Amino acid sequence: MDILNKLYEMTAFAQTGGDWTFLIMILIAFVLLYLGIVKKYEPLLLIPIGFGVLLANFPGGGMGVVQAASDGTVTLPDGTQEIIWDMPLHKIAHDLGLMNFIYYMCIKTGFIPPIIFMGVGALTDFGPMLRNLRLSIFGAGAQFGIFAVLLASLALGFTPQEAASLGIIGGADGPTAIFTTIKLAPHLLGPIAIAAYSYMALVPVIVPLVVKALCSKKELMINMKQQDKLYPNKTEIKNMRVLKILFPICVTTIVALLVPTAVSLVGMLMFGNLLKELGAMTSRLFDTASNAIMNTATIFLGISVGATMTADAFLNLTTIGIVVGGFLAFALSIAAGICMVKIFNLFVKKKVNPLVGATGLSAVPMASRVANDIATQYDSKNHVLNYCMASNISGVIGSAVAAGVLISFLG
Amino acid sequence: MENMGLGLTLMLIGMLTVFVILLIVINLSKVLISIVNKVAPEEEAPKKKVEAPAPKLIDANVMAIIEAAVKELTGGKGTVTNVEKL
Repeated sequence: MDILNKLYEMTAFAQTGGDWTFLIMILIAFVLLYLGIVKKYEPLLLIPIGFGVLLANFPGGGMGVVQAASDGTVTLPDGTQEIIWDMPLHKIAHDLGLMNFIYYMCIKTGFIPPIIFMGVGALTDFGPMLRNLRLSIFGAGAQFGIFAVLLASLALGFTPQEAASLGIIGGADGPTAIFTTIKLAPHLLGPIAIAAYSYMALVPVIVPLVVKALCSKKELMINMKQQDKLYPNKTEIKNMRVLKILFPICVTTIVALLVPTAVSLVGMLMFGNLLKELGAMTSRLFDTASNAIMNTATIFLGISVGATMTADAFLNLTTIGIVVGGFLAFALSIAAGICMVKIFNLFVKKKVNPLVGATGLSAVPMASRVANDIATQYDSKNHVLNYCMASNISGVIGSAVAAGVLISFLG
Repeated sequence: MENMGLGLTLMLIGMLTVFVILLIVINLSKVLISIVNKVAPEEEAPKKKVEAPAPKLIDANVMAIIEAAVKELTGGKGTVTNVEKL
């Protein structure tokens, strides 16, 4: 009987302490895994995040991330309290377990998001943006959702730091949202990351919804290639290869001088891009940045962000606020981009398809693909992909700059 | 209410900064384009010159042996389209 008792005490059931909320979290983990595996919504992220949620919520498993209070205090499993920043990493690993070790070493330090940005840069082609510089400005309009939701969240009683982290979901850029949240409101990391990546996965649903609510058929049929023929670009690029090498170096320098807090994101993005553009000279580094490092970073990011979603941290009203606010931020960003194009069209002869404004939020390149699909629905010859990529890519820079502003004011 | 003031300030400064930075990036790119167009207008293309003198270094006998070996290894499915000396 004693052995049976000990066996029972070994299981998770004996360690619930009468609190069964972990079952809800396990159910949420299953839903996330289902969305990733069966529905194929951002599987590279939702599967690690979903599995992280699963791992974190078994009582006695010790895999959930223990969030530090604002003064850095954490409660260890034996009930004693320590200041997390005074604990060496090996002590964190020993006392709090593997997942906290990964979280406090890779995520809380802000190490992983810029590393992912390096990989994103290595996979990004700035060519469409350089060919359509005029359209790149719409990447700025689509950052409006970030600040509008920040304002709304403040009105609802969130702290400025929490409101900024919530608003940044409107940037539609996972690593930027995570980076900002780590710096400003780390206790909200789990739900914000989930909301950011879920809405990015739902770009094919949200973008058409907003576009159809705000744009007329006539506007969506504006053919960008025809406009180019009617009003040709004055600037001709004679040597794209050299231009693409100089671009990341110069942009990093300018952004670093003006918004230093954004440089860890923009700088790493441009570094990854430089490795790509240098071609054979740095092909080995490019390969590592865009594959091995990017994939490793994604695994650690996904699984440890998932592990922050313990029942205590997730099952509360704040999470509902984040889910609703995140959607609003996303939709408002798209709407603001569209409105900016509409206003722009009032003053110029060379009209712009409002879809170019809708893709000003990041979510590269899915937003552009979705916009292209919408345009071809109305006119099968109207391919706007390259034009949308211009605002789409500048949106990545725009949201990183917006994050930099928020961090420098509220961090 | 105090926070709302902060929110409005952040909105104003944030949107302004994003616009200014993107405008700077756009104009910087224009400057870069004009500099590159002046300094390095055309892509040098020496590739063809390197590829052009491709001498027939593979002896017919050697070619026949390679073809036979490939056929043997692939069970007759594979064909040799090009053989180069490295």
